[in-house]
Amino acid sequence: MNSGENSSLRETIWEIYNYIQENLYLNRPDTEIKGIRFNSALLISLLTGLCQGKQLIIGEPGLGKTTSVEYVCSLLYRFPLGTIWGSEVAGHPEQTEEKIIGRPDLGKLNIGEEVVIWSHFSLLPIKIVDEINRLPETKQSMILDGVDRGNWEYLNDAIINREYCLFATANYQDRGTNTIIAPLIDRFDVMVESKHPGPNLAYLIGAEGANGIKLHNEELEEEFQRILSERLPYSVRMERVEELCNRFGDAMERGPGIKTLSRDDRKTIRSQKDEIPFDLDFNAFLRLAISELSFCHRLGQKRSYEGCEEGCHFTGYLCNAVRNCISNRFPISIGNFSKALAWLLGDEKVDLEHLKALMPFTLAHRIQWKEEVVAQHEKEPRDDPLDIHMAKDAVMEMHRRYMEQGPQVKSALAVAYRIMEGEDMEPIQGDHPIYWDIRKDLGEEVKQ
Amino acid sequence: MMRDLDHILKTVWPEVRRRHLFPELPTPEYGEGDQRVGLDIKGKKISISKQFVEGISEVMEPQKALEGLLDHAVSHYLYCPWDFSTHLKLYREAKKVLKDTQMAKRATDCFIDVVADTSCVSQKDTPLPELYKHLQRGSMEEAMHALYQKIWGMDLGVEGHHEISRKLSRLPYLDRSRWKESIRRFARAIHYLLEEEEREGNLDKPSSMGNHSLDQYSLQEIEKGLQELASDVNSPTEFKEILQDFKDEILKGDMNSEQAMGLGPGRSSDANILYYMKLAENYLLPIRRTPMEKSGSLYPHHHVPWEVGSPYHDIDPWTSFGKIMPGITQTWQRHEGSVFSHEEGTPNCIVIIDSSGSMTDPTRHLSHAVLGAACACDAYLRNDAQVAVYNFSDAYIGAQRILTYSRNRREIYRTLCHYFGGGTQLQMESIEALQTDRVPDIFLITDMQITNLEIMIEYFNSVKNRVTAVHIGNNKQVQTFRSSMALRDNVGIYAVGKKEDIPRIVLGKIKEYLYTLTP
Amino acid sequence: MRNPFMDFRSVHYQKKEIPLERIVKAKQEVMDRILESYFSIVEEEAKDLVWLVEHSRVVKTYDAAKESIRDLEYDQDDIEEFCAQLDSSQKVPYMISGPAGIYISALVNHIAQDSIVLGLKDYERTFHFLGFRLPEGKTLTLQGDVGDFIGAGLSGGRLVVEGSTRNWCGAGMMKGEIFVSSHTGQRTGEWMRGGEIHVDGNIWSTGKSIFGGKIYNRGKIVIPKESD
Repeated sequence: MNSGENSSLRETIWEIYNYIQENLYLNRPDTEIKGIRFNSALLISLLTGLCQGKQLIIGEPGLGKTTSVEYVCSLLYRFPLGTIWGSEVAGHPEQTEEKIIGRPDLGKLNIGEEVVIWSHFSLLPIKIVDEINRLPETKQSMILDGVDRGNWEYLNDAIINREYCLFATANYQDRGTNTIIAPLIDRFDVMVESKHPGPNLAYLIGAEGANGIKLHNEELEEEFQRILSERLPYSVRMERVEELCNRFGDAMERGPGIKTLSRDDRKTIRSQKDEIPFDLDFNAFLRLAISELSFCHRLGQKRSYEGCEEGCHFTGYLCNAVRNCISNRFPISIGNFSKALAWLLGDEKVDLEHLKALMPFTLAHRIQWKEEVVAQHEKEPRDDPLDIHMAKDAVMEMHRRYMEQGPQVKSALAVAYRIMEGEDMEPIQGDHPIYWDIRKDLGEEVKQ
Repeated sequence: MMRDLDHILKTVWPEVRRRHLFPELPTPEYGEGDQRVGLDIKGKKISISKQFVEGISEVMEPQKALEGLLDHAVSHYLYCPWDFSTHLKLYREAKKVLKDTQMAKRATDCFIDVVADTSCVSQKDTPLPELYKHLQRGSMEEAMHALYQKIWGMDLGVEGHHEISRKLSRLPYLDRSRWKESIRRFARAIHYLLEEEEREGNLDKPSSMGNHSLDQYSLQEIEKGLQELASDVNSPTEFKEILQDFKDEILKGDMNSEQAMGLGPGRSSDANILYYMKLAENYLLPIRRTPMEKSGSLYPHHHVPWEVGSPYHDIDPWTSFGKIMPGITQTWQRHEGSVFSHEEGTPNCIVIIDSSGSMTDPTRHLSHAVLGAACACDAYLRNDAQVAVYNFSDAYIGAQRILTYSRNRREIYRTLCHYFGGGTQLQMESIEALQTDRVPDIFLITDMQITNLEIMIEYFNSVKNRVTAVHIGNNKQVQTFRSSMALRDNVGIYAVGKKEDIPRIVLGKIKEYLYTLTP
Repeated sequence: MRNPFMDFRSVHYQKKEIPLERIVKAKQEVMDRILESYFSIVEEEAKDLVWLVEHSRVVKTYDAAKESIRDLEYDQDDIEEFCAQLDSSQKVPYMISGPAGIYISALVNHIAQDSIVLGLKDYERTFHFLGFRLPEGKTLTLQGDVGDFIGAGLSGGRLVVEGSTRNWCGAGMMKGEIFVSSHTGQRTGEWMRGGEIHVDGNIWSTGKSIFGGKIYNRGKIVIPKESD
């Protein structure tokens, strides 16, 4: 694929970003990457849509959690808003598998045949769940499993989504609502907050009214409804859906003048982003971060039901501040999203700046902090909810350590490579848990 | 030339940033400054003197000069002193040796420069050595540059100073764990140079690379640094001394910092307040969440698939499409609802603290009794409750201080820190006057050598408050108190063998009171 | 098994070395050896709970120190660093002052340099037994106040104290000179057999048994007394 096409796809994404920011989801830029300021919720939603990721969006009621992702999905996937609304799952305890995934064809059922009528939620590539924390755990698990694997089963039938991404909204995990338990929340790639835009932008939102009307198309919405309800094989149906999507894309270009992405465009973007390599600092820093979040000198690894001993040598590291062990989904999420960000910024390699920008959002929901650590940060001035704020602080702390020790860490990893290849060398020693982890990988028994 | 310099800075900074692995620093700018001093750092904002750069451009490429300056500035952020707490610790060690504020500050500045620059030179390809070659030098700078020549192995054009550079070259500057010991030896070795600078009136003149005032730290960093210093020092006197040395700089940056940090208009008692305040911050408990409790009624909550053999009464016919068959039929699962519990807020707290002669004077030595009381106050204040303080010694002759319910942290700590040093007698009427309809919790910290113990026992036998009595040591009065309170569920008595255990016991009780769900 | 470090195969792992590392390493090795031999002496001495000042014990400790540093190569800065270690550490072996001072004396006496200056002004700890058996040809200058038994057993060397000493200054000295710019404590010159002690400040008291030598106070001879 030539760089000309690269840049045109990139431009299209930027156009979508700017269009949504200027017209649909008015909000302040709150994060800076490589000197450019972005609104984190919008940027990360775009990345989620491109990466086939799973995003959890939190925020106060009425601050655009759901509408922002609806706009993003509409323009990235070429679906009119009405179709998207029809596929959303609302989070409440009475949700059933039949409403979420599919139901039997009652007529056929009465004559003894099991034919599944799939829900729009399971058919469409974009899956939006509103207030996922209000769903019982079994339903949360069912949705996350389905999106993880891309296939949905009901009775004895199954469909396999070719592409998919999940956006789930939730109110703050606080009084009166279910929490999303740790094994489930870990499946989300990222967590962001949809913030209040401030009084001036809020006034504009009120004055201009609902601008999302531009993303409607009644005629196409009816056609979508018809196609999705037809009893056709899944692949055939989705081809027809794609044709309608393209028609919607043309309508968007003619009307509001926004370019959107076709399925092939998204596939191209994904394959391009997958080719972008990680640079060595990204590689080493990520290893360092994982080490700090999983290491326990005394117990072998962090475990959420086992506590730290007092006066441990590694008190200054994050392993002493957290209760649980970071999961392997974390490096998958951060790697995937960092590549998408690097692609979006037109960079040749994925570097530390991409990593630093996104890491807090991939970590915030995955870390269980110790009480005393939470107490230290609770009353600090901040712009983010506590989880994200503490994750940002943690990333900054680890980054400072990396800036100091980066060359030595890379040397340690280089020496480890040679040792593993059979060279007679001594592993490089250091204070940070990464050095201990390297020695464990080399088969050394590391004792107190 | 000016436009060129602007352009050069714009090109150089991204490279320097990349070389140092993207530090979180704002883009540097040109600022006011003289030809002698190249850098100024305020709140992490690097300001470069244009005059300086123009001057040095006569002898070296401006690009390299800028790179060198930026490398130096970034190294201070990245490596040494890293944060305000480290800066203070280094200063403290230097002061122990030099016993003079200005000299200690200067020695700390020099040490920080050596560490930061050496770290940069050892890890990166930097034009710093070339920059140093062309800088103007006083006697101190000459000695330092002679040291750099020796430890970097580069010629900076300095002659002489063999002895001092030999002495200083053996210090492990790059070993952070030995910085405390290193700065002491460093200060000792350069003492004579500092005396010379003092005689010439150059002691507070900044070096060519700028000074290291506390302006470079944010208020949060200063607060955190003071917190670490409080737990690091051996006594409040030492804390006070260091605070006094830096007080002007700490207060200069932010007009509101006085309130924020509890520093007052120069009274030494305010330093005591700050000391215990910061120390207590090391024992923080998280804010209490409003507890939920089960409502006692069952409500249909979600569906589960019906299985053959399961009862029929909870089948939902609507979601089952009117069918009773496995895989289709759904039944309701019922759950108990959750509602807010009746305890809507945190009760207030009365802290009763003994400041008689047998207790430690909190202004001279670390008083764990005051610290424990401070932890209790902090915990209740953070949970939006109010605290009243009753500080007593010989109450009947007026040696008592009462602070009625307040959220004013400074006043609470001021009352806690007051020391009478006299006899030990409580006035129950004063405590009774603090009782309210909403029964407060009571924390009593004493060594129990109370003259009117019987009256106190009688009083606590009659109250409904949750009382936690923490006492130091064991004596006859303690036995009497224990046996009298044995049947009282609401009174807990805890003996501490080591005073260091007081805060832990207090916090343990608070956790039990405030953080356990009501059944 | 898969090599998880594959990505770093082309990283150059040799660290950029600057002379500082070499210097520190070399000095650390010397210091470690000095400390090792000091600990071995103290281990022996610390078997008794209290280290008492007895002549035979002092001599034994000195001989052991001399033996332990026989093959050691060190310089004046190493001795100063050792003093700094003694000053800053709260570890028990560092706090037994008698053996510490004797060990320092052994280090001073056997160093190649003829003139040694020890800056002790800024230390918190007080050092005793400095200048013990300082031999002829050696000059030791102590900057700052020092402790007991300074210059004890002086054997011909020149000891200059830019400060005060405590008790038993010059005890048992055989020959040589001691110059004290400030005061001395009690029993100054006790058991001395030769040599001279010059004190510019006050002498609290002189020794009861002085067998030879001279003590001067502010330029005037006080021992032997003029009447003697």
